[in-house]
This record gives sequence, C-alpha cells and structure tokens, in this order.
Amino acid sequence: MTEVAVGQPLLEAHNLTKHYGQTIALHEVDMHVREGITGLLGPNGAGKSTAMKLFLGLLQPTSGSATVLGEKPYENVAVRSRLGYMPEHDCLPDFTTASEFLSHMAQVSGIPAKQARTRAADMLRHVGLDEERYRHIKEYSTGMKQRVKLAQALVHDPVMVLLDEPTAGLDPGGREEMLELVRRTGKDFGINIMLSSHLMGDVESTCDRIIVIEGGTIVEQGDVSEFTQESETFHIEVDDRRDEVIAALSRKNIKATISGVSLVVVLHRDEQLDDIRDALVETGARLRRLAPSRGQLSDIFRREAG
Amino acid sequence: MSQAQGEIYDLGYQHYEGPRGGRLQAVTSLWINSLRTILGIGRGGRAKILPALMSLVVIAPPAVFLVMSAVAPFAPPASHADFFEAISLLLLLFAAIIAPELLIPDRRNGVTTLYLVRPLTTIDYVLARLSAFLAVVLVLTLLAQILVLTANLLLAEAAWDYLRENWLDIPRFILAGAIITLFVTTIPLAVAAFTERRAYAAAFVIAAFVITTPMSAILTTEWCDNDVIYVVRDGEVAREFGPEQCGRITGDYAKWFTLLDVGRSPTHLGDLLFDDDSQDDAAALVAELPLAVPVSWYSLLVAVPTVLLVWRYRRLQL
Repeated sequence: MTEVAVGQPLLEAHNLTKHYGQTIALHEVDMHVREGITGLLGPNGAGKSTAMKLFLGLLQPTSGSATVLGEKPYENVAVRSRLGYMPEHDCLPDFTTASEFLSHMAQVSGIPAKQARTRAADMLRHVGLDEERYRHIKEYSTGMKQRVKLAQALVHDPVMVLLDEPTAGLDPGGREEMLELVRRTGKDFGINIMLSSHLMGDVESTCDRIIVIEGGTIVEQGDVSEFTQESETFHIEVDDRRDEVIAALSRKNIKATISGVSLVVVLHRDEQLDDIRDALVETGARLRRLAPSRGQLSDIFRREAG
Repeated sequence: MSQAQGEIYDLGYQHYEGPRGGRLQAVTSLWINSLRTILGIGRGGRAKILPALMSLVVIAPPAVFLVMSAVAPFAPPASHADFFEAISLLLLLFAAIIAPELLIPDRRNGVTTLYLVRPLTTIDYVLARLSAFLAVVLVLTLLAQILVLTANLLLAEAAWDYLRENWLDIPRFILAGAIITLFVTTIPLAVAAFTERRAYAAAFVIAAFVITTPMSAILTTEWCDNDVIYVVRDGEVAREFGPEQCGRITGDYAKWFTLLDVGRSPTHLGDLLFDDDSQDDAAALVAELPLAVPVSWYSLLVAVPTVLLVWRYRRLQL
C-alpha cells in the first residue's frame, strides 16, 4: 500500500510537457500539490484535463515527469489504487444500479468484495443517494449522476481525488450542492483534492490553494488567501450626495473614483479613515457601506491580460 | 408507556483500513464482471435469453444423442468432428452478438476511462474481457463434446475398450475446442473494438462469414455450358448436375480458394486433427494442402484480430 511520507508532495510535475501532434497542451510545467484542496483554474483548453490525465497515468508525458505519491502512474499502475478520478464527461453505465456499479469499481480498485459492498452503500449515503441506490443509473437526473461520479471516485478511499469540472452541466442549486460535497470531502473526509474548473467562483469558494494555468503553462500559484487578501482599497457607498462627498474627500487630499454604485479610494495612512468619516459628516451623506476591497481571482486574469 | 431505547449515530466518513488487492484483483474483478455480462447475470431478462438459448442449442443435440444412445444402443457412435462442424456456426453467431456487449458499452458510456485510472493497463483490460469470453465459449464447446463422448461410451459394447481405442479423441477435442473458441472470440471482439454500434459489429461479423462461404464455393465450382448432365450407372441415373454446376474444381487453385471460406478455417483444422476428410469436398481439398498452410491461415486469422484489438485499445483516446 502506498502511503504518503511527511512533507512529500502528493502530486509533482517537473518540466512536464505534453504534445498532441503539433499542438502543445502542456509546456514545461512545474507544480507541487500538497494536502488540502487545490484548484486548477484556467479557461477551456488551458491544459487542465491533460495535466490531470498525466497524473492519472492515462497519458504518457512527451517529456518531463508527473509523479503521484512519488510514483509514476504510467509505469506503476499500482499507485492508481490510491487515486480517485471524476471525469468531466459521462462515464456511467446505463443498465446497472449505482450500488452494483460502485461495488464493482471498489473491487477493481482492490477492495475485497464484502467490504466493497459496504463502502458502496456508505458512499452513496454520503453523497445523498441512499434511497436511490438500487435504481438503474439511466433513470438518474444530471445532478444525481454527478453524485454517482463523485462517489465512484471516493469509494475505494483514495489518498487523493482529481475532480475534472465537477459542476459542469449543473444548475445553480446543483452546483452549490456539488461544491458543498467537495468541501465536505476535503474537510470532513480528509481526502486531498485537486479540482479543475474554469469558474473562478467554484475555485474561490472551495479551494485552499490555486494553480492558474493558461495556454499550457502555469501562470500563478499560491494560497487562495494570497489572491484574495485585503488591500488598501476601500469602497464607500452612500445613498445620496455622492458628488459632495467626492469634493469633500478631495479637499482632504483623498482621490475618489466612481465604480458602479461605489466610490473607490486608496488609502495610504490609517488616519485617512478619520478623514473619510469627517467628509461624510460634513456633507451629511447617508452611509450605506464602508468596506475594504478584497482581491478577486478575476484580477489574476485581468493582470495577465494587461 | 415504554420509551424507545435505541439511538442512531452518524459515524460520518470512515476511512478504509482493510486489505487492498493489486493488479491481479483488478483483473479478476473485471474478469468476473465480463462473465456476468456474457451470461446476462444481474441484468434484465432479455440479456439472459441469448446465452440461455445458445447453451441449449449447443448442448441439446449431444444431449439428445446421449438419451437416444441409452434407448437405442445399436446406433453407430457419433463423430466428434461432426459435432464441431454442427456447432461452429452457432458459436460464431453467439460470439458475434455477445462480443459487442463486452466492449462497446464501456467505450460509449466512458466507463473504460474509469477502469484505466485504476490498477489496470489497457492490456489487462483487453485480456480480462477476452479470456472471460474464451472461457465461456470453451466450456460450451467442451460440454457438448463430453456429452458426445459419454454417449459413445454408453453405446460401446465395452466402454473401457472404446476408451482405450479412442482415448486420443479427448486431447483432440480439447485442442479442436480451443481452436474454434479462439477463432470465434477474437474476430468479433476485434470488430467490436472499432465501432460504437453493437448492431453494426454483429452484422459485420455475420456478413463477413456469410459472404465468404459462397465466394469460396463459386471459386471452387466448375461452371459449364451443358444443360444437364446425368451420370448413369447400371441403367439408373446415379447423379444429376444442374444446368450451371458441373462439379468441384479440383487441382491447386481450388485448394487455395477453399481457404477463402474463413468461417470454416477452424473446422478444417478440426477435421485434420480428427483425420476426418470425409466431411465434404472442401474438407477433402484442404486436406490435400500441406498442413502448414491451413495452420498458418488459421493462425493469421486469429493473430491479426488480436493484434488489432490490442493496438486499438493502446491508442484509445481517453
């Protein structure tokens, strides 16, 4: 059984390159994925799915290496028994019950038959399909099928699970439920996750760490908090007298710009907060909101585009 | 009034701490799954019809023969080669319909990807599917032959003497069974690896064998302009040829053209194994060829589909 050594990256890519004929899907990628939930964020065609398939051993690198728990999954297939994978595309049989399918998949992953049946029932309960487990999968809704896909990836209790666009095709309600399941899998079940998505909201609300990939190369990587930490920028929303507030702030050497319904000011000293208070008092404007701005993941793409 | 005493605890997610099998268990699980697919176990009634019917059709004739041998003990013993000839086409039909079930749904539904992210290689996947298919067909084939042997033993005046004189039939029918089994499983599986529609795969295999039989017959039949030929013997018409067909071409060309009937390739080897060239003209013609020719032809017909099957799966886009 492959165990994770302390400090050892779960997934590691070194100069990882993958070409499909003339098309470069990944180019000299270096990344380390450790415990927790890691988001692989990037637009469609960025190379997210290719990176996942290389870590799963479904593809062979053109050059460089992709290792999982210290092993190359393309060469040592045994390590795959400690990995789970939820593909973006359809991957479920029609004329099988979810219970039977999960039990079979657990057995193929190395779990003995009796324990496989127990784990299949447990996993279907965890993903909220306890009542429907003896129904044929073809009768399931899209949301239920996504849950079965997640359950099959977890049924053999992997060390790490790779989720490729887990919210694809779901309505807003189903999407939030799936993200909650992903959060529970990571936080409550203690299973490490790599989640790929082109939706910044999914990654921001779920992951501890982000790897941004675009055009087959890593653009940025770091903790989510680094991307979304508080900045020196403040947003002021008033119900009325906005122009007077701008003028009052200007007299106190604070430049305010209009952004939607907010006035945006950049502060250089803490005392300038007192100046904002005084400007609001002087003008008699009714304050609705005064809050520091948080960085958005979308800023990453704006920065890169700039 | 008594109060309920039990309490239900949600233990939450439990990690698995038990034993884990490796690649061998993965292959075994897939092998058992293949067996269930072939026999329709765990699926609806319709999936069970064909395997049940096939078992009945393959086993019924020797079983009836077995019963008759008990009732009419003076009947002549049955030939193992005859039964191979009789069931080979049925086995082929069965294989043509079942083989697509083993491969196509997995590919079409994307389940193959889920297998290959587990401790299985593409070769493991293909071999597990193929070997389970081989096992089922081989068991059916051998079961029929064992019934024939049992009937012959019952028919014999002295069973032990019969066995002593004909013991070579046992390794022969095992080998002939393996030859037919390999043939009827590899070709349909290879075809199923290249199409997404089960009906197309089955139709292609059946059509391929149906077409090659008349092709071979046409090329080995002599055509003549005479209207009708009567062979008169002792003042009576012993044989009559139709206006088109004069008879079998004999000679080198016909021997080779006989091989074009690919569906009969394994039965030709079976005839050679049982030293039985009395089946028909085609069998007699093949018997005139050097042994290496039908053996090589058969090997090619089995090896090429097997290589194509593995090649296709190694290049599968997942």
